[in-house]
Amino acid sequence: MKGPLIDTLARQGITRRTFFKYCATLASMMALPPSAGRAMAEAMAAARRPSVIWLPFQECTGCTESITRSHSPTLEGMIFDLISLDYQETLMAAAGHQAEEARHTAMKENHGKYLLIVDGSIPLGLDGAYSCIGGRSNVDILKEAAEGAAAIVAMGSCASFGGIPKANPNPTGAVSVSDIIKNKPIVNIPGCPPIPVVMTGVLAHYLTFGSLPELDDKGRPKAFFGETIHDRCYRRPFYDQGKFAKTFDDEGARQGWCLFELGCKGPVTYNACATVKWNGGTSWPVESGHGCLGCSEPDFWDAGGFYKALSMPADPLKIAAAAAVAGAAAGVAVSFANRAKKGAAKKAHETTTLADLEK
Amino acid sequence: MTLDAIPIHVVNTPPGEPGLTGNARPLLRELLEAAGRLLETGETSAIDLSALPLTPADLDWLREKLGAGEISVTLQAIGESTLNETACPGVWWVTHHNEQGAVTSQFLEVAFVPELVKADPHDVESGCEYLELLISDLS
Repeated sequence: MKGPLIDTLARQGITRRTFFKYCATLASMMALPPSAGRAMAEAMAAARRPSVIWLPFQECTGCTESITRSHSPTLEGMIFDLISLDYQETLMAAAGHQAEEARHTAMKENHGKYLLIVDGSIPLGLDGAYSCIGGRSNVDILKEAAEGAAAIVAMGSCASFGGIPKANPNPTGAVSVSDIIKNKPIVNIPGCPPIPVVMTGVLAHYLTFGSLPELDDKGRPKAFFGETIHDRCYRRPFYDQGKFAKTFDDEGARQGWCLFELGCKGPVTYNACATVKWNGGTSWPVESGHGCLGCSEPDFWDAGGFYKALSMPADPLKIAAAAAVAGAAAGVAVSFANRAKKGAAKKAHETTTLADLEK
Repeated sequence: MTLDAIPIHVVNTPPGEPGLTGNARPLLRELLEAAGRLLETGETSAIDLSALPLTPADLDWLREKLGAGEISVTLQAIGESTLNETACPGVWWVTHHNEQGAVTSQFLEVAFVPELVKADPHDVESGCEYLELLISDLS
């Protein structure tokens, strides 16, 4: 599969209009004007396959599931096929020494040019012994692979921010990619899991412009993470009108009113779920009647309860993050006090009830 | 077991104009401006409907207001796309579907002819080659 992308696509029966249609949708998702969609289509059509090495660390394979099973064969999937994926433990047929060999060959042949995708956090506890591949620690493998990479894509909340492995009390000492690698361009695509099209968008940008897209202060592509879920939510008008669901089965819930009071983290969560949606554009959490969990924000797991309404003035994600660092800052806010209580209950071998978790 | 056994009663939205947020109304003004720009400078523009906080009712309202024009174009390209002129010439309602029939993106395009309808020069080249082949087969 050598040669320009459009020729490979044509061999698979994809016409130029089909590809342009796809690029128009992609560009719109990346908040680019229609003219840029055209330019993107032309540049992408002529692009050649970049070498990609994908390293899975402390992860659940949910990110890979999200990307590879987005929905039945689509252009997205085909473009994903069109990169030269030289190493991906879940997908590749090779195993053992052959697989490691393939990685080393790809790294050597494409030194300085390959794209490195990482999913999963990297444990630093016990010299990284919590997660090893082929007898080598994740941190060791990451440093080696990052050395010759043109850029790194941190795929999912774990690779971007530490994610669930890093959640309090972080038993393995998990950290993100950017905590370890400082001298390479890194793009974070957080989400648990991330949205497939964000990956394709970043890839499309890389192929079109030869660089990573514009990033925000947390290293996320601005096109997809530029606005909060709340800002783009179709239920937003109800928030503005002060119409809130108070329980999951009340009148307001049936009418599809705002889920803010049921703990929706939409107002402090930057992601594209509200516009791109999930499962091939079928629906997304808020549309199915559940508030946003904030899974693409740092330390979302420790942000004080999925069903607790955001307090005002609100930035609980930040407060919780600070609490995780400070540890003993009990009494500052209600959630901290409850955490302490939970800790005490655990020490006394008491059963933690659902009610405790909800506090 | 009948549906009555399920302790949830379906509430039908009240009569009037349910689900309308008022977010669709300013789009008419935006379209007017875009159409003016098209006339003056020939510059085309597009409004991305899937990126705006519009409820299904809002979209229905907008579709009803804009009405249907004389031309509708259907494109079969990994799912159907429809490019329909509205009652306002130059304003096209463009809907892209995927193979499952779900809407992947939706635009209001303001142009004399939607971009996607035009043939690409590369494809015209291929067309020429094909025509030459047809002609050479005749001789």
